Amino acid sequence: MPSNTIVERVAADLSQYPPFDLLEAAVLLDLASSIAIHYHEEGEVIFNKGDELRQAAFMVMKGAVRLFDTIDGEEVLVDLCDEGDIFGVLAIFGGSTYVLSAHVAEESLVYEMPAEKIRSLISADSAVSMFFAGEFAKSMQVMERTLTTAFDQRRLRYSEQSCRNFLAHETLEVKPVTNIITCSPDITIREAAKIMSDSNIGSILVVSPQNHPLGIITDTDLRKKVVAQPGSIKERPVHEIMSSPVYTITGGKTVADMVMLMVKTKLRHFCITADGTVDSPLEGIISEHDIITSEGNNPAVIMKQIMAAEKVDQLKNERDKAENLLQIYLNQDVAVHFISSIITEINDALIVKAIVFSTADMRREGRQMPDIPFCWLSLGSEGRKEQLLRTDQDNALLYADVPAGREDEVHGYFLELGGRVTSMLQQVGFSKCPAEVMASNDQWCQSLSAWKKYFSRWILNPEPKALMHSTIFFDFRPVHGDAGLAAELKRSIFDEITKGRGFLEFFAKNALQNPPPLSFFRNFLVEKSRDHANEFDIKARAMMPLSDAARVLAYELRIPDYLSTAERFRKLAELLPPEKDLCLEAASAYEFLMRLRVVNGIEQHSAGRYIKPESLNKIERQMLRNVFSTIGQVQKTLNLRFQLDYIRD
Amino acid sequence: MIDRILVWRGLSRCRRNGLPPGVCRYLEAVRKPLPHHTLLSQIRFVVFDTETTGFDLKKDKIISIGAIALCNQRIDVSDSFEVLVRQENVGAREAVSVHGLLRKDIAGGEDEKCAVAAFLDYIGNSVLVAQHAGFDVAMIDRLLHNYFGIRIFNDVVDTASLAKRLEKGPYYNLAHKAGEYRLDTLCERYHIRLHDRHTSAGDAYLTAQLYQRLLAKGYKSGIETAGAMLMK
Repeated sequence: MPSNTIVERVAADLSQYPPFDLLEAAVLLDLASSIAIHYHEEGEVIFNKGDELRQAAFMVMKGAVRLFDTIDGEEVLVDLCDEGDIFGVLAIFGGSTYVLSAHVAEESLVYEMPAEKIRSLISADSAVSMFFAGEFAKSMQVMERTLTTAFDQRRLRYSEQSCRNFLAHETLEVKPVTNIITCSPDITIREAAKIMSDSNIGSILVVSPQNHPLGIITDTDLRKKVVAQPGSIKERPVHEIMSSPVYTITGGKTVADMVMLMVKTKLRHFCITADGTVDSPLEGIISEHDIITSEGNNPAVIMKQIMAAEKVDQLKNERDKAENLLQIYLNQDVAVHFISSIITEINDALIVKAIVFSTADMRREGRQMPDIPFCWLSLGSEGRKEQLLRTDQDNALLYADVPAGREDEVHGYFLELGGRVTSMLQQVGFSKCPAEVMASNDQWCQSLSAWKKYFSRWILNPEPKALMHSTIFFDFRPVHGDAGLAAELKRSIFDEITKGRGFLEFFAKNALQNPPPLSFFRNFLVEKSRDHANEFDIKARAMMPLSDAARVLAYELRIPDYLSTAERFRKLAELLPPEKDLCLEAASAYEFLMRLRVVNGIEQHSAGRYIKPESLNKIERQMLRNVFSTIGQVQKTLNLRFQLDYIRD
Repeated sequence: MIDRILVWRGLSRCRRNGLPPGVCRYLEAVRKPLPHHTLLSQIRFVVFDTETTGFDLKKDKIISIGAIALCNQRIDVSDSFEVLVRQENVGAREAVSVHGLLRKDIAGGEDEKCAVAAFLDYIGNSVLVAQHAGFDVAMIDRLLHNYFGIRIFNDVVDTASLAKRLEKGPYYNLAHKAGEYRLDTLCERYHIRLHDRHTSAGDAYLTAQLYQRLLAKGYKSGIETAGAMLMK
């Protein structure tokens, strides 16, 4: 029987670091009782590449261990391990010899954990197994589901706390009202109104004899379509004024689902039917009220306020509320794609409202909008639906080609509109783009043909520096107006790209400018070049390489949708089966980075771009190390795909 | 020479079932002394500490023994040992203040005889290591003498003397600067994080980490065999 005091001491040391921090006490003690502690002085060899595997994995408890590969007699640093890092895990999964060398970089205390013990832990505990799957991939230097597993683990890690806060709200099922008052389509409006007032309800569902939902009549319908109309229409059948069809869903929706749906559809009532279509019997109804009363701080409310706003300062208020909401969601560990869709919907609504206000103002001043369709475009991260924090505006205006002779009049109007909208957005809190990439800039408020020419020039004469500045244009997304114009522009870009193949290569090369760092060591970023930095530029070093890569591939594969980086990668996973796993990892990686950046930004009241390594905890560092290796792999794939080694300068 | 005779006498009592089996296994194990040329990397060291009611060899009693083994530079947690010794008439005063052990813990331990026999069985022919080893060995020897008519026959390394020898050379007078070689001071000097002070197992674990570093230091000065370590 080993000494309890010592086993407990070792267990306490182990439990400081993942994955052991999640183990149950009894399991942890059992592991601790099997540990051997080794002391090493600087320069000692723990193992060398090619050595036979030892039946143990290692964890640095104090000090530092350098892992490196030897290629053509030259050392290539792979990682620097510090307190809590685990290495040499190959032994757990089989294989015969080490693929890396581990040398002691500074006086170290290393825990040796018997491979057999870890193997049995892995089969018993899913968190441990996912953790080691990640460590394993790392040590093999191959990408085998590293991130997907690591992120599953993260979900597991946070699920407990987020469930406690969040289950009470968003993941709770919204209970539909099931004792629904209905009427047939043939009764008169007057009769329907009487039922509503007798039952004291705000809406009534119109159903077929088979109880399939046909439409809905609400208080608003009665007010606007009946009371406000001249003449007596109260004796007309209800089907003439009902809103139809109704939006149908299946049961079991959570608050989060419903909030999203409300924000998207801008509807206030949802019918639950047997199979979720209008052609099956009605089972219940969920109204805006049900959703709102199930949760206090609600994006749908913010959305509603924006829609109802009459002045610019009201918009600013709502955007500030959205920022609070963002913080609540981040604290509750809500999925990033959910948060970014909400914030994008809200930002879009603000832009639309600013356009509506501005056109109304101009109309009052006697300037009518020309009968020429236009489309407001968001660019860059806002175009990719990734703007969580309020950063600079990047937008443009696109209008249909103008009959000869009216160019100046039309251009003048839209340029004025662009100017008004951008300064209104500035009042709402979106600062101006320092490079003046805005619809208020003469250059970026243009007709479809002019825009086609811009893109054609970028594509046919790609010039590296100009290209770098034009990437944000390639992420354009229609926000308001005639989306057909944007679709037409995209089609013409695809055609141009087919003509000038060299463009994609330049574009891809641009995505390879920044190789990812290796990992973190204490408060430094470990670089392949061995110039270790003490600040981490998450945008340039991790996010841009991924968003650049996703953009190139999305254009190469002619994906017509306006997608976020993560959505692009998920789409690419479908389109490129051999790279499916890598693409899915890249998508998760990007969302992880978005969250890290926004959390950092809120803490520092900045755009969150520069992160101090000391502010990252162990699990975040390990996740980032996996993210870096995913980025490396994505770049390698891009390099091969476009055969960039041939054109590298 | 006297050791040989004591071992031989003990073993013959064993043949008449006069000693507990654990003690007999111990005597078997230590019958052959450790050859001086044995490499340190091949030796099982047992780093131990005793916790006592005080520092009087005649009156004070052992209330716990903790130990951990170290082989080929590795401290092996699975090969560790801890026993509480039942002492009926220990006053709360000394024990609680120094050792953090409660009287009820002590009352719930093994009896002295079984505890020390279990310890002998655990150490076998290992080389013993302790901080200020002389005192701990003397405390255990007194029990062994009373119960079994034997004593500790193992080679013993004192970490305080070893540290002094490696840092200052063998002829430095320790008596004047005893404070420099207390366990706390040594741990601090060798960057070992202090914890669990004053439980025997906790101190044994700290001493083991200290010995690990001293071994590494010793290798650099050419101390590679049992003979060199024990200065025999």
